[in-house]
Amino acid sequence: MSSGSNGARRVASLLRPSIIDSGVCRSCQETLGRRSYSSAAPAIESTSASTAADPAVKPAYIINAGVVLSRPPQITRELEPFEKAFFFYQKRLNERLALPFTKYFYFKRGTPADEDWKKKIQERRTAARDIGKYNAYDSDAWNDELLLGAKESEPEHQVEALVQDAESTANATSQDTSKKEEIPRPYPRITEADKKNDQKSLDRLLSRTLYLLVQSKEGHWKFPSSPVESGETLRLAAERTLAQSAGINMNTWFVGFHPVGWHSFNPRRSKKADSATEIEAPGSKIFFLKSRMMAGQADLSVNTQDLKDFKWLSKEELAQYLNTQYYSNIKNMLADR
Amino acid sequence: MSMHTSLRRTAATITNSTTTILPTRPPTQSSSTTFICSQCRHATLLRRPKRPYTFTQLITLSDGSTFTHRTTSPAPIYRSTRDTRNSLLWNPSSSKLMNVEEDEAGRLAAFRARFGRSYDASAPVAEEETAKDPAAAKKAEADAKAQIKADQEEEDNLLDLISAFGQNEAPPPPEKKPFKPSGKK
Repeated sequence: MSSGSNGARRVASLLRPSIIDSGVCRSCQETLGRRSYSSAAPAIESTSASTAADPAVKPAYIINAGVVLSRPPQITRELEPFEKAFFFYQKRLNERLALPFTKYFYFKRGTPADEDWKKKIQERRTAARDIGKYNAYDSDAWNDELLLGAKESEPEHQVEALVQDAESTANATSQDTSKKEEIPRPYPRITEADKKNDQKSLDRLLSRTLYLLVQSKEGHWKFPSSPVESGETLRLAAERTLAQSAGINMNTWFVGFHPVGWHSFNPRRSKKADSATEIEAPGSKIFFLKSRMMAGQADLSVNTQDLKDFKWLSKEELAQYLNTQYYSNIKNMLADR
Repeated sequence: MSMHTSLRRTAATITNSTTTILPTRPPTQSSSTTFICSQCRHATLLRRPKRPYTFTQLITLSDGSTFTHRTTSPAPIYRSTRDTRNSLLWNPSSSKLMNVEEDEAGRLAAFRARFGRSYDASAPVAEEETAKDPAAAKKAEADAKAQIKADQEEEDNLLDLISAFGQNEAPPPPEKKPFKPSGKK
């Protein structure tokens, strides 16, 4: 069947006026040929003319492998005011719905811990420490809303209440009354690097993803990237790029073998009129592979990629350092947080 | 209040279940079966689930990171001493958690100088020590050389023994070597 139809096609193509060059594949030839019978013939003439001019200005691109190295968020995000209010409301509601606290299951009668517990319940009217003064079994249990500006719904305030409670219990029940027990507070969400805005530090912006950005000798910022060598896969090239640019003193993990995004620099052509088709500098296509960083720090002192500086930046800060086209191509492959 | 279903049946005369759901079957006078199959619309009491009282507790992991969770325990703070943050399994790249031998007083080194390394649990790792202490490195090198020499001597003696086997006159006994402790046996 195939030979017969092939023969028919060949005869048809011989009979047809040949307006198509031999560089076009057969199915495309057929499409164009069919169209040539229709009324759209002039349009085809123009496109074939433009395709005839194309091969001379064929752009040359260098394939690059880029690394989007990210440090994942270390702490949870800040809560919105509505979320704080909602969680606080749920806690007081839970006071009314759950069974009352069975004290004698946890505290033996007459022990110092029991005495301390009784004293504290007198003060705060409820077993919970983080919901302020509220008793779910009182006549004013309906009045569970906070006043404007109240601190009780703030997570920091709740944690502080827990720590203070633990401290006072430790002081009240310990044998040694001479020294005060001090329980260390949790580390603040704002670190030293945040205050100094140290963009090389990995301790900055703990609740955000940070991305490694490097600066070339010419002064422009980019993700680490380098041309793929022959016989090298994209993933291998990306791993080599990372080792050559940011050093090996990092515990990293590449997420996959496929790029998550790409950006292309167009080839630069010379300005002269006679050599309009000459390519001065070839363009490059950068394919970015995603990588995560667990431990370590970037070190450019031994880099072989002509880099002079690096920074760890969040997604919003990247926009200030990258050029607009580059950023618009990469922004959708970065995490929001 | 009551967990009984509204469909009450006395199963004495019912042979199979299909007969119970056939409404068209004429009731026989002799049967004592009672069907109450009409829809019931009275409210049934849904008991409130018994939920124990829960507190908010602050968990402090061994590296100082904290989070709060809800628990029935009345302790306000829980501090963990061993968790994923200081486990070698979860931190394979942490040199702090590696099982590195600390010998500040030099007692282990003294023991080894006297009795050798045959008592070590695993093969000796000399690289880390050499990196730290040049004197110890020199000493270890000398030790290794002596060890090799002793091994060679022993081997020669054995070869002598083999070559001399079966000959009439007994070969002169190999000179008594002082006891040299060696790791490999």
